[in-house]
Amino acid sequence: MINRRYFLTTVVVGTASAGILAACGTGPNNSGQTGSAENPVTIRYTWWGNDDRAERTRKAIALFESKNPDIKVNGNFSDGASYFQQRATEAAGGGLPDVMQFDLIYLRDYAQRNQLLDLGTVKIDTSGFEKSLLPSGQVRGKTYGIPNSTNAFGVFYDPAKLASLGVKAPDGNWNYDQYKAFLRDVGSKGGGAVYGSADFTGIWWMFNIWLRQNNIEAFTSDGKLGFAKDDLKKWWSLTADLRGTPAIVSEERVTQVAPKSPFGAGLTASEMYWDNLMAGYMADSGAKELKLLPVPSNNPDNLGLFLKPSQLMVASAKTKYKDAAARFINFMVNDPEVGDIFKTSRGIPASKGQRDGTTYSGTDTAVVDYEKSIEKYLKDAPEPPIVGFGTLETSFKRVNSDLNYGKLTLDGAVNAWFKEAEDLIKQNA
Amino acid sequence: MTSSPTLSRRAVSSKAPLPRKSRQRAADARAGYTFLLPWLLGFIALTVGPMISSLYLSFTNYNLFEAPKWIGFDNYATLFQDERFLQSVGVTVGYVVFGTPLKLAAALAVAMLLNSKRKGQGFYRSAFYAPSLVGASVSIAIVWKAMFGDSGPVDQGLSFFGINLGGWVGNPSMTMPMFILLTVWQFGAPMVIFLAGLKQIPADLYEAASMDGAGPVRKFFNITWPMLSPVIFFNLLMETIHAFQIFNSAYIISNGEGGPAGSTLFYTLYLYLRGFSDFRMGYASAMAWLLLIVVGILTLIIFRTSKSWVHYSGDSK
Repeated sequence: MINRRYFLTTVVVGTASAGILAACGTGPNNSGQTGSAENPVTIRYTWWGNDDRAERTRKAIALFESKNPDIKVNGNFSDGASYFQQRATEAAGGGLPDVMQFDLIYLRDYAQRNQLLDLGTVKIDTSGFEKSLLPSGQVRGKTYGIPNSTNAFGVFYDPAKLASLGVKAPDGNWNYDQYKAFLRDVGSKGGGAVYGSADFTGIWWMFNIWLRQNNIEAFTSDGKLGFAKDDLKKWWSLTADLRGTPAIVSEERVTQVAPKSPFGAGLTASEMYWDNLMAGYMADSGAKELKLLPVPSNNPDNLGLFLKPSQLMVASAKTKYKDAAARFINFMVNDPEVGDIFKTSRGIPASKGQRDGTTYSGTDTAVVDYEKSIEKYLKDAPEPPIVGFGTLETSFKRVNSDLNYGKLTLDGAVNAWFKEAEDLIKQNA
Repeated sequence: MTSSPTLSRRAVSSKAPLPRKSRQRAADARAGYTFLLPWLLGFIALTVGPMISSLYLSFTNYNLFEAPKWIGFDNYATLFQDERFLQSVGVTVGYVVFGTPLKLAAALAVAMLLNSKRKGQGFYRSAFYAPSLVGASVSIAIVWKAMFGDSGPVDQGLSFFGINLGGWVGNPSMTMPMFILLTVWQFGAPMVIFLAGLKQIPADLYEAASMDGAGPVRKFFNITWPMLSPVIFFNLLMETIHAFQIFNSAYIISNGEGGPAGSTLFYTLYLYLRGFSDFRMGYASAMAWLLLIVVGILTLIIFRTSKSWVHYSGDSK
């Protein structure tokens, strides 16, 4: 029989407990900063990516270890979605890995908050890099990240899909009206099975490029927004007449296929994104061939395009093995053999040494050719964006998605995003 | 769930002199505390400590990198102007209000079916319990996402009957029913407790009622319900608290974003995103404490109302 006292004592309100994060300085040689072949130091390296990148990274690490017997590299990777959430946890516990693959969008957050090693204080060879590229790894005049490769924005399309629909392949000389006409053409011939593309106005970087086409920088040098509500409204209204038509795939379908992109999932005939995703798109969609074209612009002389570091190599400010970390970074960005291991899967190698050491074929050639074709339009890479930019980019996508779901009006969406942006800038001021 | 071990107060032989008795008692206590120590250390280090620091952090602006800055009640005040916060409250309350009673009803119904003696009872009990064993796991969330996705089995099954809803995962008005179905399907744990409670009800009560001509409905409301009410109370409390803490499945099914259109932005998911994606750990801590307070108040209310409907053996009521 159940009695009351037993009962009341049994009912316990559970509370969630937090884990303790232990940061372990590994390796038998904790005292010194350098190792020897008999007694190597171990550094931790982490990156995001898929299995393909993991395989290539393991090869690169093995090569590094064979050439540097006094250093062991303990590699570890995760998918992109949770990568920076893991780093945030480690940073809070003071246990960031010695060397990390990093993204431009979080570089300022970590650098300005003293989490990253000033790479100017260690030996890394940057002689093989374009001078216009290096500032993208610098925050307040110091170098915190070295780009390992670069990517550029473009429009992907699937020629076989266009042919089967009877749509004429575009040539890439287009303004926004012509691009939209192309999307409508695909949508109407696709009969509900194939759409033109996803709503490209939801992509932050495309907005950034459009701003540059109109000679506006997204952020001012003192960390404020460089554009007005009206600009964002203009941008999001670009596709207003396409929403809900077969020119643009519905937000419902986009959500269904996530984390694959609608293009990778075969829902659309084209998509705008960074060119180094070519191999990933081909793997996802099973297409035999994909083509890349420049983004549309209403000003044919200014495409607003630039080379962005696709990933940067950074070191933790707290690393015990500065020298080993620097040697590993130097190897990953400069060694010709490493370039050939990754080919264009990280982007096009950023240093001349790696570009020269890499042999291209198939997909890689297409990406390289595309970047050559847009060379004359390229402008300087933007500086690392403001602190908290990662949040802004995510909410840009989300608010645009709410707009596509019809949960927000155009004005409501613009106001919602600006409110978040202003709140965030105030928060981090 | 943890419950603290109680020390045995076994009296030593009454012939023994007093000092020896108290020595024995002290030794007992020492042994007791020694056994208690691992749990106690864990409790202090892993529960009390983090709770105190999170309470402190909830009054600060803390971005995980720099030392927290004291801002008083600002985080709590900002919460109520945050539309996404209000949205997450709405989503979570909807889930608790609809999901929990349905889950308990399903658990009780199946427990009553399994209570009668039939062939293969053991198999059925395991079969019905199994989903809740794997239920919290990531893999189930992935399976559900696939099942309710575009042209997944659910979509195809429904269109066979002429109902064309499309995939549920991408449709903001269908995601909540999907999550409620998921939780109802995991009724195993409360079911087992119900089953144990049902076994405690003396069969002669039912026999007597039958002789008085009571039907099954009458038996349920006049015998099963009151006799089972402490167990119902327990399950209601636990499942309500549990429902407020939904996270895993929401994180997986919405790719950690709370979409589509914020329809799966559960409270804990938003809390997590605020803390680890937006680096606003102070804000997230304030959310956590608000949740604790609200759940605490709800628990209190359920306790209070229980006096009028929960019957314990030995009570005069």
